[in-house]
Amino acid sequence: MSERQRTNDLPPGRFDGTGAAPGERSTGWTRRGLLGAGAALGVGALSACGGNAPSGNGSGDKTFTLYWNAGHVYKEYEQLIAQFEKDHGITVNWQKFQWPDLLTKLTADMQSGQVADLVEEDGSGWPLSFAATGDAHPLDDYIAADGEQIGFPDDWFANSLRNGRYRGKTYSIPLHLTCNLLFYNKTMFAKAGIDKPPSTWDEFLAVAKKLTRGDQYGVSLNSDPGYLSPWMLQNGVKYWIPSSKQIMTPERAAIEAMQFQHDLIYKHKVSPAPSATSDYEGPEKLFVAKRAAMILSGPWDFAPIKQTAPDLDYGLALPLKRKVRTTYLAGSGVFIPAKAKHKELAWDLIKRLTALKVENAVTKETGVTMPRKSWAKQSWVQSDEQIGAVARALAYGQSWTNGIGATGKATELADVMRSAYQSTVVKNGSAAAAVRSIRANSAKLVGG
Amino acid sequence: MRRRQARTAFAFLAPALLFFALLFFYPLARELYTSLFTGAAADRYTGLGNYTKAFGDPVARHAFWVTVQYGLGVVVGAIVLGLVLAVILNQRMRGRAVFRGILLVPYLTSIAIVGLLWRNILDPDTGVLNRVLHALGAPEQNWLAEHPLATIVCIAVWQQVGYTTVLFLAGLQGIPELYYEAAAVDGASVWHRFRHVTLPLLAPTTLFVSVIGVISAMQEFALPYLVTQGGPNNASDLYVYQVWKTAFNFRDFGYASALSYLLLIVILVLSLIQLKVGQRGEK
Repeated sequence: MSERQRTNDLPPGRFDGTGAAPGERSTGWTRRGLLGAGAALGVGALSACGGNAPSGNGSGDKTFTLYWNAGHVYKEYEQLIAQFEKDHGITVNWQKFQWPDLLTKLTADMQSGQVADLVEEDGSGWPLSFAATGDAHPLDDYIAADGEQIGFPDDWFANSLRNGRYRGKTYSIPLHLTCNLLFYNKTMFAKAGIDKPPSTWDEFLAVAKKLTRGDQYGVSLNSDPGYLSPWMLQNGVKYWIPSSKQIMTPERAAIEAMQFQHDLIYKHKVSPAPSATSDYEGPEKLFVAKRAAMILSGPWDFAPIKQTAPDLDYGLALPLKRKVRTTYLAGSGVFIPAKAKHKELAWDLIKRLTALKVENAVTKETGVTMPRKSWAKQSWVQSDEQIGAVARALAYGQSWTNGIGATGKATELADVMRSAYQSTVVKNGSAAAAVRSIRANSAKLVGG
Repeated sequence: MRRRQARTAFAFLAPALLFFALLFFYPLARELYTSLFTGAAADRYTGLGNYTKAFGDPVARHAFWVTVQYGLGVVVGAIVLGLVLAVILNQRMRGRAVFRGILLVPYLTSIAIVGLLWRNILDPDTGVLNRVLHALGAPEQNWLAEHPLATIVCIAVWQQVGYTTVLFLAGLQGIPELYYEAAAVDGASVWHRFRHVTLPLLAPTTLFVSVIGVISAMQEFALPYLVTQGGPNNASDLYVYQVWKTAFNFRDFGYASALSYLLLIVILVLSLIQLKVGQRGEK
């Protein structure tokens, strides 16, 4: 019962308090009585604050709280959630955030114990960090009961599951699966007499040099260190080896990959130095402005490109190869916080969200690609120029973070990586020093 | 009778006391308590461990040093520029009221808008400024990469200078014209009148602006968050931004609380020093 309710339940005349003069009491609402009422109402109002609080008060609560990425609010999901509300007679409090704000909100919630019922995560391993502190709910019992029916985990790309598992248990179900691949401007390629996109680092550099002229760059690199990972993986670098607690190994290959990034900007001058802002969409903006012939990106840029430059004639190429043809997998997943009030309902919503029929509808609506093998195999997916290219590239994808979230230090490690990467590509610093700084500072955090 | 009056006074004060107790003093006490713990859930007692850790933490020390530079830049910049503009706007001139209004616009604009606005203007690849410089044949800038701290200092000064100008204007208009006339009769030049009449009589305003400016600058969060994310390579990693990262990215609320308390102590000491120096100057 809230303070306000308690106050309203008091019998009339109780606001006068114990020390009031008899004459005052006889008037009913005394000055002190009014002051007391004001104070009590104040408390009531304060206790009612927190309108954005995630969940209700336990049993009988008809509100289901869902945290979601603001960029993933699709019509298909809106209809699905409306049906979910109808089927269960509940209201879904659907809160949308950008990824960094979602993590901030989630961290504050975990601290306070007032958590959402279901949370979309960015695929980098948040659930592992929360599982390590007992704040994420294992899904194994649900999977044992329903896994075969929904095809989990057999129908999911195996590499997509890496950042959802902690100490043998599953904490997150992949929702979207994307990867980083090469976007290239077909018109610029044709004008330069280049008939096919590059396939290796050497070809990439040669093409980038040929396409750099005047205001136009061959490529535009990103200031976000996440975009470093394909180059590292292609050069055989592992970011995290859990068994030996090693970071960025082998060091020499990591330095080579970092140096290649540096040289594209400062030696060959085929890419502008990325801007050191919080905005990581710079390359996409240069690409649509026809000032960059190539960028590394993923399906998340399909819609912005279509919106800002619907006539842009661009193609997608398979990930590049140095020692190995590969790229990193991105995407998102969904997990249930340990203190969620409606875990069963959350699991039911997970099943609905990850159904093949829903995946197909979302892909058709938005171009977002999906983690089911059966989704990727469909002929309409394979035959679509853009979606098919991503679906084929997914086969080359691997997890860059490789479960580092389980150390509980993923965000600090990412900060170390960001600082070192920017020192090289934004500040023209030494690639070798940057890699050594990543290895040394990361070792302090994870004890490698 | 007196006791009754006291009770009545207390009753009138009760809502405000309750408000401060619940929303100010309790969180402060709670934060002090949290600062004695460590771990993701801040549940392992560590005594003063977080405080000793802060003194040996190169990241925290770096963030503090960056913040001191930022604070100095913003306070000095806003005072000097604000004073100059106030002196100009204190002259009889056409459109003075319009200029005053225009100067206040950045201060009245949300910091979120200011951050995004400047980020988009200064972006070396897609920003408006480089387009203009390019069109004029001037060399293009990459200040966010080359001078990130100086750049956010300039943005902060740009935003705050209207406010300091208004404060100095109020101070200038409180100086009796008689003093200037007497100084002119004694043969004082314009500079001497400014140096020996205006500046001393503006000392209370300058003190107020500097104390508020230092407190505000030491607590700056929004600009590094919105414009540079503390980068590149932590060059604009201000202290409160680091505290926020420690709490909400690194999930170490105990250490973040200790860092916050250390900042509180620094701000208190700085404010006391400024007030003491200011009072001595006024005497």
